[in-house]
This record gives sequence, structure tokens and C-alpha cells, in this order.
Amino acid sequence: MTTENVFELDGRPLRFEDGETIFEAARRAGTAIPSLCYDPRLNAFGGCRMCVVQVEGIAKPVASCTTKITRDMVVKTTTPKVERLRKTLLEMVLSENPDRQVSADRGLAASEMNDLAQRLGVRRGRFAGATSGKSRPEDDNPFILRDYDLCISCYRCVRVCAEREGDYALGVKGRGFATQITAGFDRALGDSTCTYCGQCVQTCPTGALGDKQIMRFESLSAAPETTRTICPYCGVGCSVDLVTKGDRLVGVRPAMDGPANKGALCVKGQFAYDFVQHADRLKTPLVRNEAGELTPASWDEALDRAARGLTESIAKHGRKSVYGVASGRAPNEAAYAMQKLMRMLSGAHYIDNCSRA
Amino acid sequence: MSHQSPEDLVGHWKGAEAPLLPLLHAFQERDGYIREQALEAISQGLRIPLADLFAQVSFYHHLTLEPDGWDAPRVCDGPVCRQKGSKALLNALPGARPMACSGRCDDPIPVLRRGQLTVGLEAGGLQTRSSPLPPPPPDGVRECVFAKIREPDRATLKGYRGTGGFRGLAWALEADPDALLERLDQSGLRGRGGAGFPTAAKWRAVRDAEGDPKVIVCNADEGEPGCFKDRALLDHDPWAVIEGMLCAAFATGASLGFIYLRYEYPETYGLLEAVLEEAHREGILGEDALGPGRAFHIHLRRGAGAYICGEETALLNSLEGKHPFPRNRPPYPVTHGYRDKPTAVNNVETLASVPPILHEGAEWYRGLGCGEHSGTKLISLSGDIRRPGNYEVPLGLPLATLLEDWAGGPPEGRRIQAVTMAGLSGGFLDARDIAEVTLDDPSIRARGSFLGAGGIIVYDDSRSMRDAATDAMSFFADESCGKCFPCRIGTRRLLERLEGSAGPTAGAEWVDEVKSIGEVMQQTSACGLGQAAPLVTESLIRRFSEDVGWKHEGADPS
Ligand SMILES: Cc1cc2nc3c(=O)[nH]c(=O)nc-3n(C[C@H](O)[C@H](O)[C@H](O)COP(=O)(O)O)c2cc1C
Ligand code: SF4
Ligand code: SF4
Ligand code: SF4
Ligand code: FES
Repeated sequence: MTTENVFELDGRPLRFEDGETIFEAARRAGTAIPSLCYDPRLNAFGGCRMCVVQVEGIAKPVASCTTKITRDMVVKTTTPKVERLRKTLLEMVLSENPDRQVSADRGLAASEMNDLAQRLGVRRGRFAGATSGKSRPEDDNPFILRDYDLCISCYRCVRVCAEREGDYALGVKGRGFATQITAGFDRALGDSTCTYCGQCVQTCPTGALGDKQIMRFESLSAAPETTRTICPYCGVGCSVDLVTKGDRLVGVRPAMDGPANKGALCVKGQFAYDFVQHADRLKTPLVRNEAGELTPASWDEALDRAARGLTESIAKHGRKSVYGVASGRAPNEAAYAMQKLMRMLSGAHYIDNCSRA
Repeated sequence: MSHQSPEDLVGHWKGAEAPLLPLLHAFQERDGYIREQALEAISQGLRIPLADLFAQVSFYHHLTLEPDGWDAPRVCDGPVCRQKGSKALLNALPGARPMACSGRCDDPIPVLRRGQLTVGLEAGGLQTRSSPLPPPPPDGVRECVFAKIREPDRATLKGYRGTGGFRGLAWALEADPDALLERLDQSGLRGRGGAGFPTAAKWRAVRDAEGDPKVIVCNADEGEPGCFKDRALLDHDPWAVIEGMLCAAFATGASLGFIYLRYEYPETYGLLEAVLEEAHREGILGEDALGPGRAFHIHLRRGAGAYICGEETALLNSLEGKHPFPRNRPPYPVTHGYRDKPTAVNNVETLASVPPILHEGAEWYRGLGCGEHSGTKLISLSGDIRRPGNYEVPLGLPLATLLEDWAGGPPEGRRIQAVTMAGLSGGFLDARDIAEVTLDDPSIRARGSFLGAGGIIVYDDSRSMRDAATDAMSFFADESCGKCFPCRIGTRRLLERLEGSAGPTAGAEWVDEVKSIGEVMQQTSACGLGQAAPLVTESLIRRFSEDVGWKHEGADPS
């Protein structure tokens, strides 16, 4: 018996943290145990059973994602037996869906199952039989495609919505092979508590959930490129990867390693990026002419006009006649400057920030 | 209850333990189905998300979201009732729907409608009657749990007291929890719900675990087809189960108890409600149940039609108002059970065995078995057999003795072709096994099966074993919870292969696919349902190859 937290993984000693699972420790050590229901942000679920490994002294293979390591445990992740079981199991999983390839654009994890099939050298064809999930083409919300024909009932969508987003919009209807993913009372996402954060889309391992916004550009042939940046909408500062094809912004993806968001976004950051290349987008300041119509102006003109309006108002109606609201998109420094300006200008405390709502 | 508003109903249950199932039943009884407004009121009152609540309701067979869905008769379409003609009865009753084996295999076909149970073979002949008592044992056979069950009035408190009731508990209260556990240990009593875990070890683990309150759950879900022994105990000797639970509470320090009863036993529900009410009134349960200041309360909860809720961790989720998937283990219920408190989940028969063991002693109990086997086991025997019913057999009794001598053998002119083990979960044994096997786990496991909860269904030589296997697999496919991939997909694929509706229909390829699926299910499924279901196909291939069809193709099964 050692006194340290050490166990044996495929013949090599490895340290582990208290409470760590075999799957996590292996991942840390660079051993990618196959999985389909695993998402590092979620509680281990133990549904897909692709992650089975053999533990000395236990007759049946165990699910490595739910099995916590104990000292001196001897784990083998690639015995002929577990490899055979995983392959057959994956063949069973492939058999429950129609043979249909979908674009990897649909979501961050959309190719996960197909990639795993390639990695394990598994092809379709065995275990013919009924298919399981039923797509919901009637849900015509603008953001999320519900193509459940491709669903494998891993419940990552349901769990991410509950555990990460806290919206509890999704449920598992029925049981067994008849199981279906539903929203609210089994109607459209828009009739449920869904906020269209897109988390479910990004965790789905088959493309059964698709980002309809990015899918509009599937036919553009340029290779997608990603650029890491910060979402421009609010002060939280979620990290995003902008997806471009040529000079077209086609989509936004949450950054799983974003320090502020760890893969989460809200509906605006996830889906509302059309303004960037929109024809109606403002490119210069606008000021009203004599007739009251908005006309393009230079920044100097516009700022002069604003300063005049503010000072005239204070002179005429007193210091409480003006009110400053900082944009939620402004960084702290700009918000600070804004309140300073208002206090110096009017001497009143009529100051707010739109993120407060 | 029809005058109660949703808010009243929710308010009534809100502060109670495990309020979700009783609330759903109350709304269904009030409205004839579960309306969306009811779900909204429950969601608000119990703070369960609507989508989750909707999904849970859709999981249970006996909860319905269609107007008047509760009104439709449910006809038992289990394996034994199929032998008796359940399909014809289903056709004869307007709007009838099939239900899984509802634990009345020693009676005509059960029909459940609006929470009332009748039995009969024809639409015109449905009648209400109390469930059958176990047939008397052959002369000279000594029983433990059934020893007093046939005494008149045994189900009443007076009758129970008058026939030796509460002597086990009295002994324990005189002694102490350690002495109780010691005696139970020596008796060798193991769980009778299927898994066979030593009862004393389970109770000791609960006693030693941190957490308060500690909880005793009596598992009366009895969903395994061909099993109806717990029904007999609860209907005819309910106080013995209460006494067993009190002993468990005394041994572990538990103050909270539940009986989780399957929905398909409505008379049992009524009877237990009255028994618990009386027990609380008489102080047998309550604040001073186990001595001054030592409380023990029992709450009765009904399931809603889900075999998986007999699996102890799914049962706990169901009680807690969560989606009834089994939990990942460890941690086990003994440390993290009902609301993460230390919990002993025990089968009805296990609990009812405890009082006589405590009173009569460990030696006495051990001596009831044959040879080196200790104790007894209830067997629910049904199908093609002259005297179906519940029998308490000494462990180690030859199966042939039970079938031929105790139960009268097959119907006139017939030969027994096969029996199931563990209800359906143990697959099939053939005539040769039947001649050789004894009723104890080592003997049955040596044949690749297990005794489980003790249901045995008999098939005579007029039956097709492939049909029997198809019926069995359709049960597992209907009851697979859908949590884990191997069972969710595997039960369906095996059913399709047995029906011949998809995949190879015969030959070596059929056998190859069926065996591959079976291996994955058995080795990787998350709970006992998926692990056991392929025993059906495995034993069919091994023992009834003619029925499978590959032999006619000239293919080699191995
Ligand atoms: C699918 C499935 C169904 C089960 N159904 C029951 C049941 O109806 N009643 C029961 O007592 N145990 C049932 N069990 C076993 C329980 O999980 C548990 O082992 C048992 O209640 C423990 O009690 P015991 O130790 O007294 O046997 C089931 C197990 C599985 C896997
Ligand atoms: S988009 Fe977000 S809120 Fe809506 S269902 Fe998916 S995870 Fe839940
Ligand atoms: S929709 Fe996708 S994430 Fe959700 S259960 Fe199906 S496969 Fe899993
Ligand atoms: S084996 Fe079947 S019943 Fe058990 S957890 Fe898996 S899917 Fe559910
Ligand atoms: S990753 Fe372990 S069961 Fe899915």
C-alpha cells in the first residue's frame, strides 16, 4: 500500500486528486477514453457506457466517467474485451439513426459521434432496425434546429440547460427506445422557458441540434476560420470565436476556455451578430436638421451639438433636467468617465447603467 | 376531493415527505387525467421545473395526459395472462390498453380501471375479489414467513397479536440493536428482492453512516412478471411487514419510513392505509414507537406504473420527485439514499422474515433450509401448472419436487417444456435443468441463471418458446428506462430480432447479432434490467435452438 494518491493506468502509475474519476484522470494524462454522454462541464451521467474500462478485481467493466479512483486501483482502458464492447455498442448507436451526414457547422460538438466512429474504425450496417428520435421541423424558431432524427438520447442538451444555464427548458419524454427530447409541454422551444442561449446546440454530439443562424451560410464554399474575441454586447466579457468564411461573418461560438463564460453565452452573444454586416448599420453619427430629419454628421459636429443641448437644458431647467445612462457595453473605465462627466456637468446624481435592469 | 382547488391540493401535500406522486394521483383522480393546469400548480408549489414534471408524468404508464385517459381499462398483458387469453380480453373491452404483468398471475386476468381492480377471463365476467392466499404446504414442511398467514384474522391487529405477532420486536427491544444484528447475521438472511445482499450488513452500514434522519424503505413495487409474493404478504399479513420495518428502524436508528407500493395493487393500498392509520393511532408507530422519545413514522406511497422503480435507486428518485432513472453507484443508498440520508431499502419478504427470525432464533431459521442451505424463499409459481400460487420452499428444494409434488405438475396430458427463473429476468431453464436443479442460488447460477425474487413461470409443450422469449423481451423493451445506451437500444434490437421485424431473421447471422447485443447489454448496462434481459435470448439460443430457427438453416450456433 502506498500512502500517496497513486493508481495504475494502463501499466503506468499516475497521481490522482481526491474524488477524481478514472475518466478525468486519464484525460489529464492524455488518454482519451471514448465517450458520448460526457461534457466536462456537466455532472457525470453514466448513460452512453462507451467509457467502460476494466478494473482489477471487478468482474464487469465499469463506466470510467462515474467511477472514482481509489488508491492502488489497477485500470486498463484498452483490453481486447472493452474494445470489442465499445465497438459493438457504437455500432448499435449508429443503427438508431438514419444514415445522414450533416455539416460540422451545426454546433461545436456536431461531429463528435462521427469522429469517434472513425477513430474506432466502426461503420454502419450492423443491427438494422427502427430509428429512434423524431425531428421537429414545425418548430420554426429562428435559432435552433431540432433535427432529432439524429438524436442518440445522451441528454447532454437537457443537462446543460438545467445544470449550466439554469433554464430547465428541456425534458426527457417517455422511456426506453421511445424516449424523445421535449421542451416544456412538448411544444415549440418558444413556448418553453428556453432563452435561446444555444448551450444545448453546442454540446450536442451528433448535430441533432443545429445553429440555424450559421447554417444559413452552409453553402458558402470558403473554409471557415475562427477569430477569438470578446462579445461586444455587455460588460460580462464572454469570450467568443467568430466564425468567418472569406470576409463574411457567418457565426459565433462560445469559447469553452473563456474565463468569464466557460462556454456559456446569452441569446445576443450567440445569435445576434447580423448587425455587424447589416446594410442598415450606422457608420457615422446622425444629427437632426432644421426640418427635424436625421442627417449624417462628423463626430465634431455631433459632439458639439450634444454639449450644447446638455448645457442649454441645464441653464434653462436646472441641474436635475439631465440624466446619464452608461451603456452596458462600456468598460468600467468608460462608465467611470461617464459618471464623472455627468457630475461635473450638472452636479446631479442622475446616473445609471443599462446593465442594472 | 372533487371540490378541492389545485392550490388546496398542492397546499395539502406541500410540506409532506415525498409529495409528488400522491399529488399526481390526487389530480388524476380529481380530473380523470393530468391537466396542464395541475402541472403548473404542482410546478409552482413543489418548485419542480415544468419540463421535468411533464417528462416525469410521460414516463409512468398509469399517469395520463389525455382527457379521460384514466377511464380506459388496463388489461394485464403479462406472460401468464397472455397464456390465458389476454389478447382476446383486450379486444373485447372497449378502449382497453395492455399493461405489464400486474402481479395476479395466480388468478384470472386482472383489469385495472379508475384505480379499481377486477379479475376475469371474459369481458362480462369481471369481478372484484380478494387476492388468493398461498396454498397450504405439504405435510411436514416448516415455514417462516407464511407460517401464520393462513390464520383467520391474521391481517387485523387483534388477529396478529393473537397469533404471536410483535414477539420479534419485543425480543429486540429487550435486547439491543447489536444483539438484533448479531442474530440476523447468524441467520444468514439475504435480501429477497433479487440482489441477495446480506440484510444485517446493510442495516449495519446504515447504522454506522453519518446523517439524520435515517430511513427505512419497504420496496413493495413488485414489478417483475410472474412475481406476486409481496402482494400475498401485504394483503394477508401486513402487520408482519410493519413489525419488520420497526425492527429495521430499531437496528439502524431510523425514524422515517416509507412503503413504496406498486400502483397495480389498489386493494393492498386501501388495506395498508388503514393499517398505518391504526398503527399510528395505537402508538405502534409514532413519536414513541420504539420506546419513549424514539420515533418511527411510515408513509405509504404509490408508484405509477414503472418496473424500473423497483430498482432501489430509481425508487428513491421516484420518491423524491425526480426523473426515475437509476442513480450511479457508489455512493449506495446505505450512505446516500432518500434525500441523501442513510437509507435501507428492503424487500417486503426480507422485512417479513425478520420478526420470526428474531423470535425463534438464527439456528431455527438456518435449519429450515435443505442440507447446507439456510432458510426459506417464497416462490411465485404460475403458468402451465395445476396449482399456481405462492409457496415458501426450503432453500435447496429440488425444483422438480416443487413443480410435481407441491403444485400438481402440468395440466392433464401435457409435459413441462420450460420454466423461467427470477420472473423473466433469469431467462429459461429446460426440462433437463428442471430435473437437476435445486432451488438455491449456487445450483441455479451454475446453469447461467439466478433465483432473483423467486418468480417461476411454467411453459408446457404446447407453447412456442420463441413466442415466450418475444413476450419477455417486449416487457424489457417497454420497461427500459432509457438512461443507458446498451439497454435502451439493445432491448429494442433483441425484440425486433425475436419478432423477425428487422435484421437477419434466421441463421448464423441472427445468432451472431443477438449474441453480440446480449454481451454488450450484460457487460455494460447501468442496472440490473439491461444486464439481465439478454438472459432471455441467451437461454433461448442455448436450450431451445429449434425454436430459434437456425437449425433449419443448417447453421452452427457457436
Ligand atoms: C430492474 C429492477 C427491478 C427491481 N424490482 C424490485 C422490486 O420490485 N422489489 C424489490 O424488492 N426489489 C427489486 N429490485 C431489487 C432492488 O434494487 C433492491 O436490491 C432490493 O429492493 C433490496 O432489498 P433486499 O435487500 O431486501 O432484497 C429490482 C432491481 C432491478 C434492477
Ligand atoms: S437554448 Fe439554452 S435555454 Fe434554450 S433549451 Fe438550449 S440550453 Fe436551454
Ligand atoms: S439532441 Fe443531441 S444533445 Fe440532446 S439528447 Fe439528442 S443527441 Fe444528445
Ligand atoms: S439498464 Fe436499462 S433500465 Fe437500467 S439504467 Fe440502463 S436503460 Fe435504464
Ligand atoms: S462517458 Fe461514461 S457513460 Fe458516457
